[in-house]
Amino acid sequence: MATQTLLSFKAGRSFRREGSSFVDASPVKGSLELLRGDDELLHLLWKNRATGQVEDDLIIFPMEAQFLKVPHTAGRTYVLKFSSSNQRHFFWMQDLSDSRDAEYATHVNGYLADPEYDPSTAAGPASSSQQAGPSAPPAPSTAPAGVTEDQLAELRALVSQVSQEQTLSQPGQSYSSARICFYTKRVSEDLSLSDVLTPSNLRPLFSNPRLLTAVFPHLPPDLPVPPSAESIQRIIESPQFQAGVRSLDQALATGLLSGLVKSLGLPEEAGLGVGPFLTAISRQAEHDHHDESGQDSMQTD
Amino acid sequence: MSDEESGWHITESDPGVFTELLKTLGVPLIVDDLYSLDPSTLASLQPLHALIFLFKWVAPADSSEASVDYDDAFEGFFANQVVNNACATLAVLNGVCNIPGVGMGSELRGLVDFTTGMDPQTRGLAITSSEFLREAHNSLSPPSALSLADLDLGPRDKEDAYHFIVYTPVNGVLYELDGLKRSPVRHGVFPSTGEGWVALARDVIQKRIETYPPGSLHFNLQAIRTDPLPGLRRELEALQAGGHVNLAQQILRQISAEEDKRQRWAFENSLRRHNPLGLIHALLLGLAKAGGLEAATTGAKEKMKERIAKAREEAAKGKK
Repeated sequence: MATQTLLSFKAGRSFRREGSSFVDASPVKGSLELLRGDDELLHLLWKNRATGQVEDDLIIFPMEAQFLKVPHTAGRTYVLKFSSSNQRHFFWMQDLSDSRDAEYATHVNGYLADPEYDPSTAAGPASSSQQAGPSAPPAPSTAPAGVTEDQLAELRALVSQVSQEQTLSQPGQSYSSARICFYTKRVSEDLSLSDVLTPSNLRPLFSNPRLLTAVFPHLPPDLPVPPSAESIQRIIESPQFQAGVRSLDQALATGLLSGLVKSLGLPEEAGLGVGPFLTAISRQAEHDHHDESGQDSMQTD
Repeated sequence: MSDEESGWHITESDPGVFTELLKTLGVPLIVDDLYSLDPSTLASLQPLHALIFLFKWVAPADSSEASVDYDDAFEGFFANQVVNNACATLAVLNGVCNIPGVGMGSELRGLVDFTTGMDPQTRGLAITSSEFLREAHNSLSPPSALSLADLDLGPRDKEDAYHFIVYTPVNGVLYELDGLKRSPVRHGVFPSTGEGWVALARDVIQKRIETYPPGSLHFNLQAIRTDPLPGLRRELEALQAGGHVNLAQQILRQISAEEDKRQRWAFENSLRRHNPLGLIHALLLGLAKAGGLEAATTGAKEKMKERIAKAREEAAKGKK
């Protein structure tokens, strides 16, 4: 089996009491793990640390979900939020200290956006769509005799969790079976730009400053951050951009975009589908290259 | 009037979108996601003016109409939903326009004044005909050059089916404002001490949730509240002036978390307003020039084959 563990850290869950609107913080010690399964898909698991059992196994497609800190709460609660549905899964950090919380969240989001994510290149905790405030771990108080620091911290976390977690329910869910977050409407039998425009595929572009600068004029004019490889990557990982790419995929699948593609300097046949669109862009790149090289006096088509 | 004819675009039901709408309307309040109605969470969000309960319209709850306490003589602001795509903006207006002394820009003030004394249906029509309001609403969806509606690609998914209900106190009574009902619904008086109206709202919302079969209701909650930043900043100044370092640190963390969230909203809103076609093309062109398009396309073809194979497998097995 080619399963590869990408990330693992201590975390508990909160889940809905059946038939009511309350969500209970479960005191069970667990861990949140990200794996690349033998199906090549990203799995987000919650494992019970006492029994070693995997109790939640979610398969998550790239850029479908984000791991966000829940504001307005005293505990270290995070929510796994899906961009195209109402699914919410709540977790709370169980490490003794909160000093690595933001780091874990950054890595989770990195993998959720791109399974090829490389944590060693992470920009740091205060990036993209997270609620990261300045993190200073609280000074641990002296443990009473017979209680370890670990136990004391978990007890504190438990108490603050239980008192704040009367969260309203999210869709009733069975937590014991693996669930594929699969949008049958979007299963495209055609090539998909969403698979082309991934952060890892775009690395050759990100590492070429001259070419990257040519992209800047096409960024939103009111983007609140300066243009850079990092901000472009953040855009690519955003639900809004992803929705735009899916729209274009669907639009190209109709084969009716000949008019629209002309505005991009492409020939009519580029509007016939995703494949022709990419081929035309490839040709456009060669053409521009010949134009730019200047030395060559030969005319190209 | 159909959604297409109305000129109102579909928008996301996101706090960042609503907060930006309020800003355009000149209302100095914000909207936040609400994950919990427990007392401490709600206390941390005060002053709180209205709760928005938004849910997917699945099998309707079995509610007996006879027991609903309609206030047909309601004197506040209530508009019926006349255009589906406008439902979110309508809910925000029903929530905001009943807040005593709420600030608003001159266009919204004019609209509210114009509709004074109208019945809910007429007011709904007037609201929907407001060019100013429609433009404010549409400003957070992509320019129509790449609109699905133009290409007639069939029904979109979840956003269509959302319904919004606002809970807000008016003159000591908790009201439920549902644009699809004929009038606001009374849910009783509430104590002026302690948690006040939010405790009653919590009970009402919980009871409502319980009327649905477990698992059938997909919902979200949001809160319309006073922007906490000005108050936090004043508090910070005072604490710093008084030399209270630790408390100042705490406030600074809150301010920082709030500003991070606003920056995320501003980032997402700038993307919402932006037509991505030029950017997508520029990225692909740049990738081609960098020599990476071929490899990316090959990878994408592999993924396509996997999708097709999986879809066929699923179809053969039959979905559980």
